[in-house]
Amino acid sequence: MANSNGSRAKANPSNDTVANSRGGQVLEYLSKKGYSRTEAMLRKESQNTDPEGRPIPSNREGSQKYKIALDLTISWLDTVLDVYKPELKRLLWPLFVYSFLELVNEHFGQDSQHFFANYRGLFEAEHEDDVRALAPVSLPEHVKEDSVAQLYLKNKYRLTISQLAFVAILQFLESKEAQGGATIITLFNTYLDIRTVDRAAAGNERSLARLLSKQNGDADVPAEDEGIPGHHPGSANLDRNAPSVLSKLSLGPMPMEPDLMEDVKAELQDHDITHPPTNGQSSLIDEFEQRIKREPIDDVPSRETLPLPPSTARDVAMEVQRIKENRDRFRITGRTGGVGPGISVTMFTFHNTFDSVNCIEFAGDNNLVAVGTSESYIRVWALDNSPLTSPTDPADFQPSSSRRLIGHSGPVYALSLAPSIATSSPPQTNGHTNGTSIPSATPETRSRYLLSSSADCTIRLWSLDTWSNLVVYKSHSAPVWDVRFSPFGHYFLSSSADRTARLWSTPHIAPLRLFVGHDSDTECVAWHPNGAYVFTASGGADRTVRMWSIQQGGAVRLFTGHTGNITSLACAGTGKLLASADDRGEILLWDLATGRLVKRMRGHARGGIWSLDWSVESSVLVSGGADGTVRVWDVAPNKDAGGKVISEGGAGTKVDAAGGVAKGKKKDVVVSADQISAFPTKKSPVYKVRFTEMNLVVAGGAYLP
Amino acid sequence: MSVWNQENIVDVAESVGIASLSKDVQEHLARDVEYRISQVLEEALKFMRHGKRTTLHTQDVSQALRLLDVEPLYGYESTRPLRFGEASIGPGQPLFYVEDEEMDFEKLINAPLPKVPREMSFTAHWLAVEGVQPSIPQNPSTADQRSQELLPKGGAASQTLAALSGAEGVTVKPLIKHVLSRELQLYFERICDAMLSPKPSSDEYRATALASLRSDPGIHQLIPYFVQFVADKVTHNLKSLPTLTASLSLIAALLDNPSLYLAPYVPAIVPSVLTCLVGKSLGTPSIDGATTHFALRDYAASLISALTRKYASSSSTLKPRIARSCLKHFLDSHKSFGTHYGAILGLTLLADAEGVRALILPNLKAYDAVLAEGLKDDGKREAAETVLGAIMRALGLLAKETGGIGAVNGFPEGDALKERLGDVVGDVVAAGVVEAGDTRIIAAVLDKGVL
Repeated sequence: MANSNGSRAKANPSNDTVANSRGGQVLEYLSKKGYSRTEAMLRKESQNTDPEGRPIPSNREGSQKYKIALDLTISWLDTVLDVYKPELKRLLWPLFVYSFLELVNEHFGQDSQHFFANYRGLFEAEHEDDVRALAPVSLPEHVKEDSVAQLYLKNKYRLTISQLAFVAILQFLESKEAQGGATIITLFNTYLDIRTVDRAAAGNERSLARLLSKQNGDADVPAEDEGIPGHHPGSANLDRNAPSVLSKLSLGPMPMEPDLMEDVKAELQDHDITHPPTNGQSSLIDEFEQRIKREPIDDVPSRETLPLPPSTARDVAMEVQRIKENRDRFRITGRTGGVGPGISVTMFTFHNTFDSVNCIEFAGDNNLVAVGTSESYIRVWALDNSPLTSPTDPADFQPSSSRRLIGHSGPVYALSLAPSIATSSPPQTNGHTNGTSIPSATPETRSRYLLSSSADCTIRLWSLDTWSNLVVYKSHSAPVWDVRFSPFGHYFLSSSADRTARLWSTPHIAPLRLFVGHDSDTECVAWHPNGAYVFTASGGADRTVRMWSIQQGGAVRLFTGHTGNITSLACAGTGKLLASADDRGEILLWDLATGRLVKRMRGHARGGIWSLDWSVESSVLVSGGADGTVRVWDVAPNKDAGGKVISEGGAGTKVDAAGGVAKGKKKDVVVSADQISAFPTKKSPVYKVRFTEMNLVVAGGAYLP
Repeated sequence: MSVWNQENIVDVAESVGIASLSKDVQEHLARDVEYRISQVLEEALKFMRHGKRTTLHTQDVSQALRLLDVEPLYGYESTRPLRFGEASIGPGQPLFYVEDEEMDFEKLINAPLPKVPREMSFTAHWLAVEGVQPSIPQNPSTADQRSQELLPKGGAASQTLAALSGAEGVTVKPLIKHVLSRELQLYFERICDAMLSPKPSSDEYRATALASLRSDPGIHQLIPYFVQFVADKVTHNLKSLPTLTASLSLIAALLDNPSLYLAPYVPAIVPSVLTCLVGKSLGTPSIDGATTHFALRDYAASLISALTRKYASSSSTLKPRIARSCLKHFLDSHKSFGTHYGAILGLTLLADAEGVRALILPNLKAYDAVLAEGLKDDGKREAAETVLGAIMRALGLLAKETGGIGAVNGFPEGDALKERLGDVVGDVVAAGVVEAGDTRIIAAVLDKGVL
């Protein structure tokens, strides 16, 4: 349909069409009245207008004009000053996308395909997914339906370039207006949101050295504020004229309930008396005081923002244990002097899975492991091989160390066990202590509930006492990709292919909050350790990480910069940093307060980093993924992140912040210097990594020979 | 033009009764079909990603269709990749179809059931201990790793550049991961010397070394070296009993040291000790005497039992593995009596009365022949008798456990008793049992016969 016949007809409107239109009536009138000269003039002029009187774009070009214009720009970019090159190169991608969409919209089906095939090679490295998504678009109807195309057309691509560079390209385009410059300028005006900054004011980020080093670095990556949901770095306000002031966050830990605090103190005091600290150890009560005192007063969320059920004996026991473990744990104090901390990793390998395992989850007390399968069931094992009993078992039932939970009608994509903590109570209950220190019965601190989400659009809550389904939460209208318990239990967050994330509380079957804003599937979620904020990330064309306030229900931060689908998120225990990983093997660290990117870390091969976790001190990050490795990362910001230029004048060379990035045979094997160590497994993709409260890493994977 | 064949469109149109389609419509539809297919694939990829897989399954496609509100295609659900057949409907017009074997119903019903797939299970191992990956079978070998580039290479490559820029945080990876201090190296050498010194006067030296190993809290770094040392000595000095004994006492000393954490090294230690326990010929009979190696085996057995007692809780497979290997040696009649002795001893200490009943007792009848032959042969009599002693001791354990109350209510005396015992455990052992005259042992053995 969209062939060149149609376009030619349009380009040279015959006199018939003119005669049929309103202009034609005028001509008739003029000839009747004998104004022949006026008639001739009008005829001449109407050559260049369509029947409605709008000017027809001078169309020798037609389908070719975008190709000509883009070629012009590309060839000019080769000759331009090195200073401008990296910045201006960023313009090519949006120009390419919008030219292509325009072509399709104008029914140049065949030409649009040629155009696309011609230039896609330039962008495949960085925009692989978008290129793939746009490739089949060949009809105007597709443009209207395709989510990626719509995303580009409905938004303006935001790009920040320095003043001088922008002026340079504008001057060039204006000088070449007839040869295609005008086309580009039209695209600029219609679709792009170009912000100019003064190079000097932007500081190091746009210094010559920085730009140069980026250029010879491996891959140029989009700037933080570049892209479709372009925004002020960090800010969640997408309004073009939004103020660059960020909303204030309360990132401190949630204060303790006063009653709970009293109980915990009493308990710790008792414990200190019965088990006096050995040499070099501080007493538990000191440890606790220190923990409370550490909190600055100003950035603490108030307890009213997040109503929680009153504390129980279980909470006291968990808190006491947490203090104990905090004192006794193996400390990881970040990388000092080049050699990283020695981290121990226990790997649990699942055999005979036939690739049916979708997710693995370990309990906080290290006693249970749960596996969600594509065969719609969940399987739970006791890690110590003890039988899993239930009061509803028939008398002659022989409980084994694993249980199946059956209920979902689609693959299970995510599991989350209620918070729990291992207590050292077993020896005590066996009667080794005199019994005075422990309250009559030590409350249970194991996980009693399990959440699961599935492709059948439901979330289910399972009891680990009776091993049965308690609640089915139905509200999502598409497969639920991820679900996660709040750090305090009670609340949980789910994310789904319906592009929303929803906040629930276990006793209610309807969601309490809807977090809407992502432009494609919300793929994974994470909680802020104080429970007052949540994070969601999306894949597809959106590729943003958003931070939401539970109290206000709105987005408070937005982070862009990923080039692949985001596969996992984790917020540091200190509540200041967020790590997000994508399926191109990059891990990005974000500073929550300022909303800025701290650094990018590379090392994983492509295929998804499926799990991230922080050490208790938040000094080290551990990741596991499809490439079958567990990697340990240094999270301290790079020392020379400021981008110091050495050697004044001449060729300023600077080693980029990502210091030792080496170029391998393929881009897949680039490992940044932030990596402390990497532990490969034997053909086992790693689905889950977790730091225990004592700083031991537990990893889970499936052996796929 | 489009990848999708336009003739397909015509075929489908004809099949629903539309005889003629204009060229434009065909082309338009073909492009649309192509777009829809890619749309389905995009969605299917999403399901593949969340299934944490790298291969697309037919299930993903049907999930994607369901998400797009399209009736999924039925009949393609398969975990195996589909096989496509090719047929020709004319020159240059191949037609592809899914090969679907015709099944004879009768045959299908009568065919044996397919094997049940193996049950999903998990194993645990140390992927890394304090930042170092132990080289155990569960971890990839260094050869496998070489193909992957795991560590930043850039550190070395751009070091000079980094130094130029004044960046302090440049990492220089040491070539070897473990750097032993000079003191530790000296210590290691001294200990090894002391262990191997052949002079009789060095006994005191050795005792001091062992005492140091038993109590020194700062030698954790040396453990892998010691383990390697022992493994090395044991493999190469099977003829020298003093060396083997010294190696075992080194391990015993390490085990005694309360400040060392040996759990990650247990799998490496066990083979050396097992060799000393069930080795075919240990020591040189002409120098040491024919039976001295039994003492070494006793020592090794006690070490094994100490090891399992201490570390069975951290490795659930440790005990079964050792027991299996002991049992294998016990059942192999071609092995020497020394091996059998070690295996019986190991099983006795490892598994207690329960193990004796389950693992040793049922096999005694078969073992009888070997034992009888050994007793007849003068050269082997002594060894065979020692083995018999070990068996009697094992049976003694049974007696202690049952306390004399068995399922057998009373038993005959004299030859009749001997005969009945012989039925269960074989004549030689039966004679021994009768000789010992302990009614509880007799009861326990007969108990077995009844069961």
